Amino acid sequence: MNSGIKLLLRQKKAVVGLVIVIALCLMALFAPIIAPNDPAARVGRSHQPPTIEHVMGTTKMGRDVFSQFVWGARSSLAVGFATGIFITVLGTLIGLAGGYFGGRIDNTLDLLTNAVLVIPNIPLLILLASFAGTVGPIAIMTIIAFTSWPWGARMTRSQTLALRNREFVVAARMVGEPNWRIVFVEILPNLLPLIALNLVGSIIYAIVAQTTLEYLGFGDPLNVTWGTMLYNAQNSSAIIVGAWWDIAVPCAGIVLVGLGLSLLNFTFDEIANPQLRSGPALRRWLRLNRLRMRSLEAGQ
Amino acid sequence: MRLPLHRLAIYGVAFLFAIVVNFLVPRLMPGSPVDGMIAQLGPRATPAAIEAIKARFGVVEQPIWEQFFDYLKGLATLDLGVSVKYYPQTVVEVLGRSAGWTAFLVITAIVFSLCIGVTLGAVAAWRRGGRFDSFISPFSIMMIAVPPVVIAVATLFTFGVALRWFPVGYAYNPNLDPGLNFTFFGSVFLHVIMPVLTLSPYLIGEFQTTMRTSMISVLGEDYVTMGRAKGLSETAVMFGYAARNAMLPVLTNLALMLGAVFGGSIVTEIVFNYPGLGLTLYTASVARDYPVIQGQLLLMTLATLGANLLVDLIYGVIDPRIGETRA
Repeated sequence: MNSGIKLLLRQKKAVVGLVIVIALCLMALFAPIIAPNDPAARVGRSHQPPTIEHVMGTTKMGRDVFSQFVWGARSSLAVGFATGIFITVLGTLIGLAGGYFGGRIDNTLDLLTNAVLVIPNIPLLILLASFAGTVGPIAIMTIIAFTSWPWGARMTRSQTLALRNREFVVAARMVGEPNWRIVFVEILPNLLPLIALNLVGSIIYAIVAQTTLEYLGFGDPLNVTWGTMLYNAQNSSAIIVGAWWDIAVPCAGIVLVGLGLSLLNFTFDEIANPQLRSGPALRRWLRLNRLRMRSLEAGQ
Repeated sequence: MRLPLHRLAIYGVAFLFAIVVNFLVPRLMPGSPVDGMIAQLGPRATPAAIEAIKARFGVVEQPIWEQFFDYLKGLATLDLGVSVKYYPQTVVEVLGRSAGWTAFLVITAIVFSLCIGVTLGAVAAWRRGGRFDSFISPFSIMMIAVPPVVIAVATLFTFGVALRWFPVGYAYNPNLDPGLNFTFFGSVFLHVIMPVLTLSPYLIGEFQTTMRTSMISVLGEDYVTMGRAKGLSETAVMFGYAARNAMLPVLTNLALMLGAVFGGSIVTEIVFNYPGLGLTLYTASVARDYPVIQGQLLLMTLATLGANLLVDLIYGVIDPRIGETRA
């Protein structure tokens, strides 16, 4: 694990991504200190451009955009991260179960995975959300998680299939270790790069889906998030009247999280698939490969 | 050429899932949606209309299995119920009006992004580790992470409101009569530019990433070395030998992405007021027009399944290995 963190920190992209994500999380965590005012309070005139007093301007309702941005990060990030974790746990468990047990369990789970995979998610989300009326964060989380686990499940399943007949797993089975121990202690640690990749991808997806749902007006309008900020800006025709700050600020927040997470994702992808590496890591890998080939040739 | 049975089973289960969700969700929700819909109909709520809505949403004295059977019978005869907002129009009529525009928008965006994304991915893989690759590949992953809402709003503001380069809203100039003439096509083209530009970043990012990964694994194959050994030009080997074979995973990914593309098109159409399925879905969800929302899910599921089926068929044609293993 320690070497994994070191590998991560050697990558410039990963460090930049990590810094962005951590900075946004800290901002969300310390929202009461950074923006002590109530984000829903009316503090100025309608659609005031950025000034020293209101660094990011005000909304149609005269609310401070900066306070909303800081407080909105809380809900957006919390729901995004929690949903991402939920999706990853669900996908990993289903993929592990199918890949390890095989047979009928695998057939059923694989069929289910592929079926849910081809159902268009956002229309399904909209159907569920519109029957439920406005949905709170927990409902958004559950709906997104239950429709978007298959990507991770598929990746995990194929990796587990590759691992289940390796020597150390066979040995563990022969020694008589219980199934749960083989799955979680022997196989799972080998899947960690994949799980990290899945987690980051799921968080990105969850934030995209959450923003989309809230923008469409299915979110709780009293809950300040970046998605509902966009929804309110759209409804107050901020674009048409030229109040760009009202739109640009939540957009910037979403783009920043996306940027940070995808830089991390890129690095995880390279750790999980050494073939994809570029830069110094790629050169190292190619050199290793050449050495291996040479030693193979020498051995023959 | 035959389709593997398990692919068909997957599509069957997926379609059944969509049907069951459509059937069960309104019946499981606390508080019946029927009263809301009857209220929405207002003076148009004739006894016949009320009866039809009640039957569809399960407020009838009938065992659930019979209800489900009736529901399936309705689907088989393409009866998706009547729209609440546009009563007495049927759901099929309402969806049929807008499906064409969405198909046009989505296909244009996919073709446009496929050309750009595949080329970028192929070049990035060819010069792996170079300056181009280390800029474009993280950039592609980043583009996947930006929600279509953000891109749509940014495009609308920059090109529609601030620069006024492109018309805002509708699929063509409403003063024109639709017809087979140059002015009309020009107007349609101008109106689709911003929505296509909005849908494309995500697609280009996905295509570039998939293409790069698949191209990298193809580059080590013997036939690429063979192409080089024949002394062919770099471009000929890159596109004629490597990229052609690396395209297959991109196709699979395209079929699976279609659901996400529909999601993006919903948002795009709402922002640009483009008269496709997404805008219909939005007005339907605001008006609580549940039959239209349900029809939408079925239609989009069918479209995604159809695309997957098509990819399976194409795969069989262009990848001879698949036919062999199955025979």
